[in-house]
Amino acid sequence: MSRTAEYIRIVGLNVSYDGITPAVSNLDMQVAEGDFVAVLGPSGCGKSTLLHAISGVVLPQSGIIEIAGQPVGTGRGDQSVPIGYVFQEHRLLPWRTVAQNIAIVLRAAGISDEEIDLRIDRYLEMLHISEYRDTWPLRLSGGQRQRVSIARALAIQPAVVLMDEPFSTLDEVTARVMRQQLAELWQESGQTLVFVTHSIREALFLANRIFILTRGPASVFDVVDVPVARPRRYEDPQLTELEAQIVEHVMDEWGYGQPRAGDDDA
Amino acid sequence: MSVPILLWWIGSHTTTFVPPMGEVLRKMPEFLSEEDIWPDVLLTVQRVAGSLMIALSLGFGAAYVMHKGGLWGRVVDRYVGLMLGIPSTIAALLSLYIFKRSELGVYFVVSIVTFPFVALTLLQGLRAADRRLDEMGDVYRLPTSQHARHISAPHLVPYTFAAIRNEYAHAWKVVVLAELFAVNSGMGARFARAFDRFRIDDAMLWLIIFMIILLATEYLLLLPSERRALRWRGSGKEALL
Repeated sequence: MSRTAEYIRIVGLNVSYDGITPAVSNLDMQVAEGDFVAVLGPSGCGKSTLLHAISGVVLPQSGIIEIAGQPVGTGRGDQSVPIGYVFQEHRLLPWRTVAQNIAIVLRAAGISDEEIDLRIDRYLEMLHISEYRDTWPLRLSGGQRQRVSIARALAIQPAVVLMDEPFSTLDEVTARVMRQQLAELWQESGQTLVFVTHSIREALFLANRIFILTRGPASVFDVVDVPVARPRRYEDPQLTELEAQIVEHVMDEWGYGQPRAGDDDA
Repeated sequence: MSVPILLWWIGSHTTTFVPPMGEVLRKMPEFLSEEDIWPDVLLTVQRVAGSLMIALSLGFGAAYVMHKGGLWGRVVDRYVGLMLGIPSTIAALLSLYIFKRSELGVYFVVSIVTFPFVALTLLQGLRAADRRLDEMGDVYRLPTSQHARHISAPHLVPYTFAAIRNEYAHAWKVVVLAELFAVNSGMGARFARAFDRFRIDDAMLWLIIFMIILLATEYLLLLPSERRALRWRGSGKEALL
């Protein structure tokens, strides 16, 4: 089966929360079906806003966002393009059990009750958290909650999974284990995945391609392919070398090199 | 509980009009076996529950409008502020003038006195809503009904319990007061009748019934319901559902 080269197609995207201050400016991006891409940018550059726009919760001022050839829908109840979203914090409903948290989004996606049960079991098992099926989220550790959040995103079998720095609040050891599991899960599922991060090493470890953003408002500064075979090791010298190259490459753009025209001298 | 008992004990030993505790309690079985007290007890309970439901509905509506803001939000906000300052006695007299000795008057006075407090408590809940959970609901395209059921309503549960708990005791006081002024039935009216006839024993027995109902509602109804509704917060025991 052929895979669409422009599964996610973003052209001339402009987003602003208040209508005055731009958060995303004239951004173009194409992501192939089944690809794992990272969006890399400094803190506050507009990475999360870009994901909000792709998910349809923020309306762009102008530009095109299409997934699988369909414009991204907005509004409650709209099911045109199912999207899985893993937030920086888990965003589980504390008053619903793990299974109920997943069931709610599956029901909203129009999945039958019988199928819901099967999917909950399958994805909890996939993320090694089956034993917590009937547990309240407040009883889980940060890593377990984020696993549930990932299970929720994957269980709707979305067209695209968006991840917004999902491991940034976890301790480093847990984050490494989670990254490894995510890489394996992606290889198994083959879903299109857009992963936002400010960590160059994380982007290099996980993604096939990295969209490097400007320091804000966000537009694409460069696109880097990661020619490292999988499975990857986090300490791989090849990744270290690529990391050094990217750091050098973005230094000026992210404001750590020579001052740019118009920058504040103070 | 120990403070009223202590006060009673002191009162009965230092005055001649407060009867000793033992004497009153000895009359309790006989008092409870009188058939004509129960219709009045039930009538008062019904008035408290009914008017509290009305106050909750009005309070939720007012809180929602105030939270939305705009012209109506400001109007309701001023109205709620005004109602907060009206003493229960004035409200009871007002209801007597408007509704005469009608049953509606009792419901009116209790609802009008208690709903502003309910509105303020629920408004706090609406203002404390977690926008991040709303955003999660929007990302996963939860329909409005599911959004309300799974995100908004559960968030308001602790605030609703706080409002019920505060206003339940308040509603009892106002109902008894309204029964004194506006109608000639219910526990308030029976209490006033006993007092008018200098039957202090009966007045104390009605007072005990009043306290028993309040405590029973708190410990047998409100607390267990609250514990069940908020069990996700608690000791971390696994879900019952």
